[in-house]
Amino acid sequence: MRLLRLTIVSVTFLAAGFLFTGNGSGRFDTKLSPDQQILQALNRLTFGPRPGDPDEVRRLGIEKWVDLQLHPDRIPENPVLEGKVKPLETLHMTPAEILREYPSTPPGFMQMSMRPNDVVPSDVMRKLTTGTLEERLAVLKPLDPEKRRQALALVSPQAFSCMPELQKEAETARQAQNEERQKEFRRRMPPLNELLNQDQVAAAMRGNQEQLTALFAYLDPVKRQQVAAALPPQSLAEFAEMRRQGMMLRQPQQIITNDLREGKVFRALYTNRQLEEVLVDFWFNHFNVYEAKNSERPVLASFERDAIRPHVLGHFHDLLLATARHPAMLYYLDNWESMAPDALDIGPLAAPAGALRQPQRQPRGLNENYGRELMELHTLGVNGGYTQQDVIAVARAFSGWTIRKPNTAPEFVFAGFMHDTEEKVVLGHKLPNNGEQDGLQVIDILAHHPSTAKFISRKLAQRFVADDPPQSLVDRMAETFTKTDGDLRAVLQTMFNSTEFLSEGAWQAKMKSPLEMVVSSVRAMGADVTDTWALAQKVADLGEPLYGKVEPTGYPNTGDGWLNTAGIMGRMTFANSLASGQIAGVKLKQQDWEGKDPAAIARQLLGHDASVQTREALEKGLEGKEPSSRLVAGLVISSPDFQRR
Amino acid sequence: MMTRRWFLRGSAVVMAGIGAAPSWLARAAEGARGKRKILVAIFQRGAADSLNVVIPFSEKRYYELRPNIGIPGPGGQRGDTAGPNGPNAIDLDGQFGLHPQLEPLKALWDKKQLAIVEATGSPDPTRSHFDAQDYMESGTPGKTAGDGWLNRALPPVGPQTSPLRAIAMGSQLPRTLRGDRPAIAVNDMQTFQVGSEDTASILETMYSNSPDLRLEKTGKDAFAAMKMIKQITQGPYNPGGNAQYFQGGELGRNLQQVARLIKADVGVEAAFAEVGGWDHHGNEPAQLTNLLRQFGLALSAFAQDMGDRMEDIVLVTMSEFGRTAQENGDNGTDHGHGGLMMVLGGPVRGGKVYGRWPGLAHEQLYEGRDLAVTTDFRAVLGELVTGHLAQSDIGQVFPGFEKRESLGLLRS
Repeated sequence: MRLLRLTIVSVTFLAAGFLFTGNGSGRFDTKLSPDQQILQALNRLTFGPRPGDPDEVRRLGIEKWVDLQLHPDRIPENPVLEGKVKPLETLHMTPAEILREYPSTPPGFMQMSMRPNDVVPSDVMRKLTTGTLEERLAVLKPLDPEKRRQALALVSPQAFSCMPELQKEAETARQAQNEERQKEFRRRMPPLNELLNQDQVAAAMRGNQEQLTALFAYLDPVKRQQVAAALPPQSLAEFAEMRRQGMMLRQPQQIITNDLREGKVFRALYTNRQLEEVLVDFWFNHFNVYEAKNSERPVLASFERDAIRPHVLGHFHDLLLATARHPAMLYYLDNWESMAPDALDIGPLAAPAGALRQPQRQPRGLNENYGRELMELHTLGVNGGYTQQDVIAVARAFSGWTIRKPNTAPEFVFAGFMHDTEEKVVLGHKLPNNGEQDGLQVIDILAHHPSTAKFISRKLAQRFVADDPPQSLVDRMAETFTKTDGDLRAVLQTMFNSTEFLSEGAWQAKMKSPLEMVVSSVRAMGADVTDTWALAQKVADLGEPLYGKVEPTGYPNTGDGWLNTAGIMGRMTFANSLASGQIAGVKLKQQDWEGKDPAAIARQLLGHDASVQTREALEKGLEGKEPSSRLVAGLVISSPDFQRR
Repeated sequence: MMTRRWFLRGSAVVMAGIGAAPSWLARAAEGARGKRKILVAIFQRGAADSLNVVIPFSEKRYYELRPNIGIPGPGGQRGDTAGPNGPNAIDLDGQFGLHPQLEPLKALWDKKQLAIVEATGSPDPTRSHFDAQDYMESGTPGKTAGDGWLNRALPPVGPQTSPLRAIAMGSQLPRTLRGDRPAIAVNDMQTFQVGSEDTASILETMYSNSPDLRLEKTGKDAFAAMKMIKQITQGPYNPGGNAQYFQGGELGRNLQQVARLIKADVGVEAAFAEVGGWDHHGNEPAQLTNLLRQFGLALSAFAQDMGDRMEDIVLVTMSEFGRTAQENGDNGTDHGHGGLMMVLGGPVRGGKVYGRWPGLAHEQLYEGRDLAVTTDFRAVLGELVTGHLAQSDIGQVFPGFEKRESLGLLRS
């Protein structure tokens, strides 16, 4: 590196020289140049620098700026942000409010799928499903024709496979029911051509923004909502309120997910408390919850807002406990159903002797899912020194950690009757066998375990320094973790103050995740964003549907997961549509670039000079073509240089 | 439908217009005359519950362990009790039966194209999804290698090698296919292109010359693949044999793309697709029913579409481990050990359940709770790699694995 520096005179070549070898190949002891240090800090503590950000950091000094980011309460929030996220109202509601106002079936809708219990008693249903032909005919006999039809329509067609008499009737009942449903569905949500005349349909489907605005203004509110429901969401990418109204008619709970996704992108784009937002993304991903496994949707906003956000710069123990107790986690890793095997062998709850199958799904025992992932993914790490016996003991300790009022006002409750009272030993510690205390003690043991200090420190260093961070740095962070009782702000301070953090080894060492890629490019372009629905869609197209990671690992923390041909192609496609102004809700400010040459545009977007190779490719490829600044911007954002941070 | 030769001639002409030297294409055309063997790997992420995918209905113990979620045998039998009780398993050999939703696979079993290998898995005891997936995809139980077994199974790059030789359907390149040999990930063939030709050409130069070696390699692979895919996707695709991919969910959509590539004769040697959502800790019957319906329909659509070309194809399915033999308290199952693999294709000696069945009695279970592993997953993959892909150096693909006796999965 030193040799290279001596031989290359031009300052611009110097920057390119760093890119040459800057993929974490040692040299964690060599400091970056002052300008690079500023960019490095911005690239790691924010979702990407905006024009003007480097000057601001230079003005304050890196140390002071980093310290401010570590104390977000001292940073005045961007006044614009509040207005942007205000309409995303589920982000500001309690789970109970969300459940009331965003039900799983559209409000006022006919009960389309009747539950068996509402039609006939469960023993009738059971005989109808599994009885002999005689038994089935006998239970059907007393039913009036309407009930008989409803009951038959509920039974799976295979159940009548050897009874042609009933099969035909059930089939007819099922068809009739389907037709009825479709009729109701059509009445509530008529297709576009029944709502509008031909010209209006054309305007709605293919019109520009003004035409759609005019059309919506012309329609009465009921019809307006029906039209919105009939249009694909892409057509409403610029009409947040209509999108919401239309979705309310079709699928209210989809609004919850959309609010979360759109809110995340807005915050990443606009908050002044960038580090806090980066950390919320990091810790949500660490304690990943998938939005659609059980009933997570209505509680997910609260999970991020109430369990994650308040603790990202606090003590790890509190963060861990808040997630352990949150209904979102209790649902997602099944702990809400986990109980001592004999917990329900009581009074009328007990299963009848000899019953082979329970008529309905009913949990009756231990579930290991949370116990395992708590140690493997949340605290110790897979090689953190636990056994299958520990997994079972932890699951027992948490039995009874469940959800009160799951369908109306979900909140954590410890249900003593579900708790396993057998003796438990976790990682060599005998638990007090004192109800809820068992789980609390496990959280305590895990939060203070040396493996946890190492595992968390390494993961943070991986996010902020390099995919394979130097062990000595991880060790120092782990030491801080242990000394400060898991004070996450102190651990981050140790990392940000380290030589490694602002070293050549860390320069451009991180491949951007799709969220980072999308948000950093919009920030770099200094664009104004009025609607993030389309941007969130782009993040999903690049492989990271927000709140949509099914597995509890969360999304990859390192470049290996993102670096592939599909990802590269997707990023180029995104860059081109962004720069050519084709992404709904993103308003570009072009005047900044007019009249600038490609190298200058590249410097502005990257914050430093592009690599020699990128500049040459731009120069040669655009020679004599008088390219628009948009085209150049698209190429720069597509370039290898922009894929790293 | 156009013939293979027509396509190759036609596309070579257009390719020349794009500017890339199409010499490999002429060579691929050469190669296509001989038979090109193709291995398709399907990963079921989340640990599929093998005992409810292929049901050991002759074991009374199965129904004792699974009173609520057990699938009745073909005659409705449940171990010692008999009687109709929901949809029954589809008999394979009097001992094992397919989950009722896998009905579309029965025809392939009867045609002797489908084999099941029971009690397969890894000698490593981990019950972590993520470790187990890494180990299986690396082909190195107990440790994660930087590259994957299927990448190492491919011959080194030669004059016949196509940019599309190894392809994963999805937005990520799975570990199975990572490594020295070029391998690409494609999410959707229809949108696998970028901007105008001018834009594409500038970006191609940028990436091909990039000092960032990893981005350079990925970029090069992407542009080479893009050019070919552009050719392939110009017309509509009409699957053969009336195959209905759309009912097969995401896996169906991805296998359709694999089929399209294979039929375009562009030199595919290995393909990978995955299907997630098998981690059924609770409410398993309803979820498994859904997943297996799509799974069965996707595989059978693929076989139908490929028709006679199945003679050149072997498809193998795997999952990181099986699940507990006993159901848990939530009508689900927890992380277990032994699982199963399916092997499908023309060269397969199908219609048979392979592997030694270890039994479900307490003392027969692994650690008293999970189906034991009697066949190392590497034994199955190893046979396919040597027998089908003609990779003779098994030590390179599965370092440290000592192959004992052959299962005889393939017709020789």
